[in-house]
Amino acid sequence: MSAPDRHRLRSRLEQRALSLSALATAAILAVMLYLPVGVVFVEAVLEAGRPTLAHVRAVLTDPFYVGALADIVAEPLAIRTHLESLAGWLGAVSVSVAVVRPIPGLDLPVPWLALETPGVRWGLFGFTAYQAALSTVASVALGLPAAYILATYEFQGRQTLRSLTILPFVLPGIMVAVGFYAMFGRAGTLNGLLGVVGLGPYPFIEWNPLAIVIVAHAFYNAPLVARVTVAAWESVDRRAVETARSLGAGPRRAFRDVVVPQLVPAILTGALLTFIFTFMTFPIVLALGGLQLATVEVWIYDRVRQLAYSEAAALAVLETLLSLGLTYAYLRYESAQSGLARSAAAPARRPLFPDLRTALSPRRLAIVGYGLIALVVFVGPLASLVIGSLTDGSGFTLRHYAFLIERQLEGASYQTLPWVAIRNSVLFGIATLVVAVPMGVVVSAVTARAGRAGAVVDALAMLPLAVSGVVFGIGLLQGLVFGIPLPGGWRFQVTGAVAIVAAHAVAAYPFVTRNVSPLLSNLDPAMVESARALGASRARALRDIELPLVASGIVAGAAFAFAISIGEFSSTVILAGGGDTYTMPVAVERYLGRRSGPAIAMGTVLLVVTAASFVVVDRVGGRFER
Amino acid sequence: MDRRTVISALGGGMAASVAGCLTREEGGSDDGVLRVATYDSMVNTENSAGPWLKETFEADHDAEIEWTVPDQGLNQYISREQENADIDVDVYFGLNVDDLVRIDDELGEGGLLQELEIDRLDNAERVRDDLEMGDPHGRVLPYDTGYISLVYDERRVDEPETLEELTGPGYEDALLAQNAQGSDPGRAFLLWTIDAYGEDGYLDYWRDLEDNGVRVLDDWTESYSGAYMEGERSMVVSYSTDQVYANEYDYEMSRHQVAFPNGQGYANPEGMGLFADASDVDIAYDFFEFVLSSDAQAELAQRNVQFPAVGDEHVDLDELFAQYAHVPPEPVTLGYDRLQGNVDEWVDDWAREFAGQ
Repeated sequence: MSAPDRHRLRSRLEQRALSLSALATAAILAVMLYLPVGVVFVEAVLEAGRPTLAHVRAVLTDPFYVGALADIVAEPLAIRTHLESLAGWLGAVSVSVAVVRPIPGLDLPVPWLALETPGVRWGLFGFTAYQAALSTVASVALGLPAAYILATYEFQGRQTLRSLTILPFVLPGIMVAVGFYAMFGRAGTLNGLLGVVGLGPYPFIEWNPLAIVIVAHAFYNAPLVARVTVAAWESVDRRAVETARSLGAGPRRAFRDVVVPQLVPAILTGALLTFIFTFMTFPIVLALGGLQLATVEVWIYDRVRQLAYSEAAALAVLETLLSLGLTYAYLRYESAQSGLARSAAAPARRPLFPDLRTALSPRRLAIVGYGLIALVVFVGPLASLVIGSLTDGSGFTLRHYAFLIERQLEGASYQTLPWVAIRNSVLFGIATLVVAVPMGVVVSAVTARAGRAGAVVDALAMLPLAVSGVVFGIGLLQGLVFGIPLPGGWRFQVTGAVAIVAAHAVAAYPFVTRNVSPLLSNLDPAMVESARALGASRARALRDIELPLVASGIVAGAAFAFAISIGEFSSTVILAGGGDTYTMPVAVERYLGRRSGPAIAMGTVLLVVTAASFVVVDRVGGRFER
Repeated sequence: MDRRTVISALGGGMAASVAGCLTREEGGSDDGVLRVATYDSMVNTENSAGPWLKETFEADHDAEIEWTVPDQGLNQYISREQENADIDVDVYFGLNVDDLVRIDDELGEGGLLQELEIDRLDNAERVRDDLEMGDPHGRVLPYDTGYISLVYDERRVDEPETLEELTGPGYEDALLAQNAQGSDPGRAFLLWTIDAYGEDGYLDYWRDLEDNGVRVLDDWTESYSGAYMEGERSMVVSYSTDQVYANEYDYEMSRHQVAFPNGQGYANPEGMGLFADASDVDIAYDFFEFVLSSDAQAELAQRNVQFPAVGDEHVDLDELFAQYAHVPPEPVTLGYDRLQGNVDEWVDDWAREFAGQ
């Protein structure tokens, strides 16, 4: 090949690079997402091979699922009846203070609901949305102060702390539940500490199971909110703030008019992800709250276990539609916010405790107060878990770790070996990061400025988050592990390590997209246009102009991709089958017997390995950021 | 190579390797390897029975045992059968009555597993009559059993004599149970109450329990290792072998008292069965015979912390085991006939009492 030819080929490849990457992304999504999800969802609308809406209708007309909505769906045309019952309901509304609302767990004071309404049945969907909304509020409330502190103050260990914020995200649900009992239980760590100063013991969990479930959801999701917000905060252009100040704006005004508008999309992104996650919460509600707090996902799981796939699929389809609808509404809002950020000169950080006087200022004291809360909510359960791995009835013991070592040294090939799990987790994590980051960036680039159509594509791209994990797992099993029958006795099957990485990447890339898109749409379009006018391809403009400016979002997304891979359980265990491609969370589950010690020890190993990995991921990522 | 080419190459490479996964079904073969599907704790937890069974059996027989743990339990094979995907195991180790009912609901009467030729097994007659699972198609042979009971803290509550007492003031906010939708002990306890109060009365009983503050958590680990062990409550639905662990791990016995209200405990026998298309059938029968032998029954019981399926005269148990593992005066259990066509509805009606109100 002559030099000019090579040059032409190169430039042609470059022209096509973006479309080729988009194609590869689409191919992975088709096999690892749309196929398995489709295999199950189709059950919701098929009966003996014929299309039917009977299953969906059965759900929508069952008051158990949708509460008062059931009557309306059952007879949509009986408008008069519905209006009458609405009128009757409105007539019975009276504004008074401090009444109990007819939803379980309303002991939580929710001020705007303090008016008396006659009983409305909300059903499983209503309660699921209600607890997700409360969890979202709690996660944002706990996450934002952390973002503020991490983004605007400098202190010893800030980088490491920022890396570790993501840690709760990877813990298997059962470990979180055991950690919460070990921290907040009547004989738990917190009561132990309070007992030292003569207080308690308090039944923290029994007081209000809904509240503890919400705190557990915040444990998972507040770090997510914080992480997404910090990434946006760090890419706020310092010079814009300085310009505002030089034009006479006070610090408060500059913050409100310059910084806040750039943070809002990130905060809402965090809130949206939290809502979707907690809407589909599964093990944690039943593990801490009990069956009274059951969510839609609990019923999906039960129906899958009964092999009643059509009802499970109908529930899952409705769940997904709700999540995607919400995502779409949000994305329409996000695409309407086009900022004009040109570059990212990160805001300067102030020292946290420069001297004693500052340390005693109200703001610094509030930070200390928040730190104490964070210590109880985030560090407490994790530390209690570690303590649990080192104790039994007689006090301190190393026997749980001895079990892990013995299993590693003497275990048979059909048993689950700790080192294999650690190695697989780390390898899959890195591979997922390598695949998911380009996938996420491509989706962001394709949808960033496509307006209404872009928002549709973008919302659909969030599908992996909006599909019930149980249903996705069954889809993988039926579609890819059992295989799709082809003519001639052949089957199309996908299993093993490659499939696991692909499944993880599919679950992870939305996080990259959601971290990158807000920043990308904040960039001044004029910069890309100038580059294109000067002859750069779209891909080149993306690489040379846009990506460096949104590096903080990419690094945050990469960390999430890694975390998703490490924490992923349901599709891993299905695709791993009996082979040796299991990961750390799978090992935790498998060591769970009548004594939880060995499993908790494995959970602690998971924590340590993950913590170390995140510090490394962030250190390496930090080099790209600036 | 710059980044974009790497990306596309990676994408292309993945597409290629995915497209390469075309396979053709192969039947099983008589290769002297018996493939046995089971649950996790048979092979993966501390001191599991699986490795001992494998080694001891292989030492005496010219055959190999290959353990495998399907992720969805028996459901995995029911789905495979429905999808006409091949089943690559010969034996299922760990069946209960529920499983048989589900097989027949999904695949038709007598599906998935083959009727066992009991005549080929000398040891089959040692199996206790009260563990009979009542399968009309004779597909399953019990190898051990557990008993569901209540475990309580005698410093905080008295021993409950009857199930009825649990709805009274002495046990307000005391009991932890598990979700019968997915948890074995949770389901056993629910079926026990159905046995005691009938299918017309059990929901009323549970309403009383709910008024008295029962908490229904997800599964055994949360309710026992989480809530009960951290002192949240004074009583939990659990196994009657609880003290075996308490003794081994030095926990205070006062917190590990076992109660059999109504003088009963719910028996959950576990059985083994042979898949309809199994190869290596002869080895399978040898294995079944071995599992019911005296040595294997003792090891299985002690390692699995369950009770042997054979009569007392056929098995010698450790003294400590006999001291700490309690058998209810009157074991109760609902057999195949009672569960078939009912159990899903019972559980669903029960779960709806709690959720979504």
